[in-house]
Parts: sequence; structure tokens; C-alpha cells
Amino acid sequence: MTGSRKIIRTIIHHLILAILAVVWLVPIFWLVVTSFSGYDGMNTSRFFPATWSIRNYSRILFESDTVSQFPVWFKNTLIIAIFVCLISTCFVLMIAYVMSCMRFKGRKALMNIAVMLQLFPGFLSMIAIYFILKSINLTNSHIGMIFVYSGGAGLGYLVAKGFFDTIPTSLREAAYLEGASEARTFLTIVLPLSRPIIVYTVISSFLVPWTDFVFAKIILNSGISTDWTVAIGLYNMLNRTLIPTYFSRFCAGGVLVGIPIGILFVIMQKFYVEGITGGSVKG
Amino acid sequence: MKRKLLSVVLCAAMTASLLAGCGNNSGSSNNNADNKANNSADNKVDDSEDNNVADTENNEAPSGPAASDETVVLRVWAAEEDQNLTNELVNKFKEANPDQEFDITVGVESEANAKDDILVDPEAAADVFAFASDQIIDLVNAKVLQPVQDVDTITSSNVAGAVEAASVDGTLYAYPFSADNGYFLFYDSNIISDEQVKTWDGILEACGAAGKKAGMVFASGWYNAGFFFGAGFTSELNADGSTKIDWNGTSSTGIKGTDVAQGMLDIAKNPAFLPITDGDTANQIATGTLGAIVSGTWDAEAAQTAFGDGYRATVLPTFTVAGEQVQQGSVAGYKFIGVNANSQQVGWAMELAKFLTNEESQLERFSQRGIGPSNSAVAESEEVKANPALAAVTEQNGKFGVVQMAGGSYWDPSKSFGEIIAQGNPDGTDLQTLLDNVVEAVAQPTIAE
Repeated sequence: MTGSRKIIRTIIHHLILAILAVVWLVPIFWLVVTSFSGYDGMNTSRFFPATWSIRNYSRILFESDTVSQFPVWFKNTLIIAIFVCLISTCFVLMIAYVMSCMRFKGRKALMNIAVMLQLFPGFLSMIAIYFILKSINLTNSHIGMIFVYSGGAGLGYLVAKGFFDTIPTSLREAAYLEGASEARTFLTIVLPLSRPIIVYTVISSFLVPWTDFVFAKIILNSGISTDWTVAIGLYNMLNRTLIPTYFSRFCAGGVLVGIPIGILFVIMQKFYVEGITGGSVKG
Repeated sequence: MKRKLLSVVLCAAMTASLLAGCGNNSGSSNNNADNKANNSADNKVDDSEDNNVADTENNEAPSGPAASDETVVLRVWAAEEDQNLTNELVNKFKEANPDQEFDITVGVESEANAKDDILVDPEAAADVFAFASDQIIDLVNAKVLQPVQDVDTITSSNVAGAVEAASVDGTLYAYPFSADNGYFLFYDSNIISDEQVKTWDGILEACGAAGKKAGMVFASGWYNAGFFFGAGFTSELNADGSTKIDWNGTSSTGIKGTDVAQGMLDIAKNPAFLPITDGDTANQIATGTLGAIVSGTWDAEAAQTAFGDGYRATVLPTFTVAGEQVQQGSVAGYKFIGVNANSQQVGWAMELAKFLTNEESQLERFSQRGIGPSNSAVAESEEVKANPALAAVTEQNGKFGVVQMAGGSYWDPSKSFGEIIAQGNPDGTDLQTLLDNVVEAVAQPTIAE
């Protein structure tokens, strides 16, 4: 009696999960199959394309025209993302260390202010940021974008701080006793124990510029398409007059955008799994 | 202690520079908050910084720009599809002015979105840009457009409708280059006979018999206004940005608005009719389910592929209003090149705009891109007349086209009105009530003060 009820329950659970999985995956799946379609535009009368081809990929990668300049956009985005990733990872980890391990006046207040600021959506300040950048001539420049993306990154310290809090204080105290400075303690004691959170920070700070559309659109407003990032360039292909000829290339671009994130994650994953157990006991 | 002092000094320096930066620009940063109040402030900033603008604004007819040793830096915005052509034309412009050094870059901005992106920050917008005729009022209100100086040349060489659409209160504000914006009928002559294509009833009957559909975008105030314009109704734009339409009453030709709506409803309820969402027309043509579609020149290629040797383009049909056949009207649109009044090089920018829209450039634009010219000489040429879609749009615009004057609050209510009709009025709302609602909703002012 109880056995059969359990089976029914499991079936229902799995059924719900399966339905949800389908709902989430169908759009992505459609994007992928459309990117392999043999025609240029959109055809919503059928799910799978009538003809298959990898021409969309070869065209978007090797045959740039005035509309589609994917390699250039990809390079721009990658450069921005790498710099932002480096800068904001440093910011986040340093602030998290300070908030977690050091004690000073106003620490609580600063933490609260930072969290509250973080609660506001970033694009509220969009127009202000635009005019500030304009006044120092940094609109339409990738350096300006790197500033914008990495400038406020430190506010997202909370998760990393939570992780640093779990590292035993005695480890740090031992280091202090041996005469280590705060910087040395941070770099040689705390950081090696914190691989999972470093990985998390690297990936999440890489993703911000990689997927951002709002700031890129407002900062890069000169209309010069070689300055664009992938997000703006691909969005531009959805222009009413361009959709019939570029939609399947748009899909191919959408799939290609996922690749660097995938690679980054695969590289970082092994550190993710190792976790905290790898560190302190050895030394 | 020393370190602390240093950090304090650094912080102070940063804050000061930020404040200074903002202070300088306060005129333009307010610009977004509300256009009207700040344009005056904006202009003041410009005047002091840039005498060039002030000069051309004050003098009615200054002499053309003289060649100088300094490189003239200009930025041009053209539609994505026009990039190659525009680059070619810009090179020709440089060749035509050998005494002057130019640094001209061509950026991408679709004509349909130009206004939205320019008004975000007119100072950062291009010196010379292409835009669609419906945006001219807003651009003029925001004082972005520099009035045309060489009015006689532009007026005499372009078709009257285009010049009229480029003028606001008697001042010519832009250089027309295309007159092909508008919708008409594509159909498959293998399915629909020459006689049937003259009425909606005939088209729907023929499509129904062939198992095909006739498509049109109802859910857009641009398309569905054609029915009302055809019946003699009008739309006007008031100074506060509200739109005045009389569709809930009786038109000058004695047709009741409710009868027009009923006529649209009859078309929508026909099983052979396919309502299409705006922007989806090319996709629907490509599916091959259509025998006829109301669309514009941008779909000519798709229609030619889908209809094959049966591909035809013609003026819109008549539709049945209270038992009578009424010709369906349409919205005629033009494309212009405008000169940014904030430009540092207004003189050269106007020269370039004139060059990009002259007869040779329009001919080039037609032969490379198939864009219907606004230049009368080019429009009369044999090549233009041999293109069925352009011939159809020219005829439709010339005979039944209306320059639609509508404000920002017009589009959403008229869209939802079209949507309700396209769905066959599912709630069975009284048509008079529906029309009253639209008329009232579009009368909302969009400009504060």
C-alpha cells in the first residue's frame, strides 16, 4: 500500500520536473536548431528547419559584411570582459576580506550601506553615468565601459564575505603571530583556502560585461558598428528590415556567445569541486 | 597619519573633479528630464561654446562654407542596409570638394529609430542623419533639426508631397531622399484575377477558394488608419502632442466611422483573412500560406520569391462600407536626411546632406538598393517605372496616400483597437464605444506644460 503510493508520488514529481525542464529548454533548443537551418530568415511554421546547414556559422565567423561583424564584436566584448573580470574580482575579494577579517570603526555602517546600494537596479543611474562619462570624454570608449562595469563591483562582496567568515580565525592569528601583514595573510593564507569563492567571483564578474546590453547600448551611441559589443551587434540584426536575411545568423551568434562561458566554467569547475577540504590540513 | 592625509586629499580631488564635470554639463544632462525647458538652456551653452551654430542660426543666408586648412570632422548616420552606398556617396562628396580635408565616419542608425536615439543626447548624435517623416515634429520641437538653407533647390527638385512632409509651419527642415514608404497590395496572380483584386471581397473569395489566405497587419495605427483615411476621415497633431481624430463621427464624405469599423470587422471575420502582427510580414510571406498581403517595398523580395511568376503589386483594394465600395487609403511616408543643429560643422553638414539627396545620389540609391526616389526627375525615369512594387507604392501614395499626423499617444490605443477588430471583436463591444475610446485615448497630450 505505502509502496505503491510512494511510486505514484515519485512519478508525479518526475512528471512535473520533466514538464518544467521542457518549458525551460524549448527556447534554447529552438535557437540551436534554427542556427543550423538552411535558410536566412525566420520560419515559425515548423519547429525543425526544413533544410539543415552550417552555413550560418561559417558566414558569421568568416564572412563579415556591414551588418554582421561578429569576430570584431566578439574581440571587443572579450577584451572588455577580461579586464572587468580581473579588476572586479580583485575588488570583490579585497572588500570581502576587509569586511570579514578586519575590525575598524564604521565597518557595520559601511556594510549596510553597500548592501542597500546593491539593492537598487544598476540601470537607475544609467543617465547619470552617461553624462559623467561624457564630461570626461569616455563615451564610445571601451575603457569607459570597463570603468562602469568594474567600478561598483565591490558592492557585491556579500557572498565572498560569507565564505571568508567560515575560515577559522586561528589560521589568521597564527599568521599574525609569525609577523605577517594583512596583505600577506590575505594572499598566502586566506586566498589559497578560498578557491570555490574565487571561481564563483571570476565567473560572475566575467558574465556581467559579457551579457550586458543596457549600459553598452547607452555608452556606445556613435553608431560605429566596429565599436560594438556582441549584445548590441546581435540585437541590431533584429531590425525589421534585417530579420529576413539575418535571423538565422543571429541564432548562430547567440549559440557562439555561450562558448567562452562554457570554456571558463569547465576550466574553473575542478577548483569548484575541490573546495575547502584541499587546503589547511596539508600545511 | 601621512597615508590618511594622502587618501583624504585624493578623495577630495576625485569628488571635486566629478562635481566639476557634472557642473559643466548641467545644461545637457537636464535635457532628458524635459525637452522644452532645457532647450533654451542647451542653446545658451552651445552659443557660447560654438559660434558656428550661432552664426548660421542668426543669419538667414550665409555664404557656403569656405575651404579651410582644418580637417572637417563629420559623422553620418545611415540605415544598416545603406552602409556601403553611403560610404560610396561620401567618397564622391570628398572628390567633389578636393580643397577641403574631411574626416567623415558613417555610423549605423535605422531610420525608424533615429528620433529615439537622437533625443537621448542630441549633442552626441551624428551631424547628418537619416530619419522617417513621422519623426519630424518631435525633432523640430526638440530643436535638433537645422532648417534647410537652399530651399529653392530642394523644393523644385523633389515631389511636392515630400517637401510638404519635410516642412513644419512653413519652414523646410530636412532633405527628402525617398518617397517609397507606404503600403500597398502584393498578390499572386495565379490565384487572384485582375477583376477580383479590386475589392477585399474578391480577394478573400479567391484566396478562400484556393485554400490560401489574405494577410494584413490590423494591430497597428499605421496600417489600420488607411481604412479611415480612405473613407475621408482625418488625423491632426496638436501642439501638446495629442492627436485629434474624428473616426467616431461622420466623415466629410458622409461615411459613418462605425460603418468603417464594421467593414474592417467583416474582413477580419472572413476565414480567408490572416491577421499579422507588425514586423512579422516577411516571415508570414515566406511560409507560403498567403495569396495576397498588404505590405510595403521592404517585403518585395520575399513576395517575389513566394509568389514566383504570379508576383504582382498594385494599389489597395476597395472594401465594403454599409453596402458601398470604398477605396482603402494608406499612409504615405517619406525619408529625409536631417542636419543636427548641434553640429560643430553645420555648414559642411548641410552641404553633405544636400549631396546625399541630390539627383545622382537618388539614382544611385535606386539602382543599388531599389529605394523609391523623392526626386521628381528620378521618379519619372524608365528604370523606376519598371519596378512593380515601386510603381504600386508611387500610385498608391499619389492617389490615396495621406501624410499621417499623429503624436506619441496615438500608437498604443490605435494598435489595441486594431487588435480587437482583428480578433473579430471577441467581447462584442459596441463599435461606437470602441471608436469613442480610441478617440479619447489618443487625445492625451504627450508634452508636459
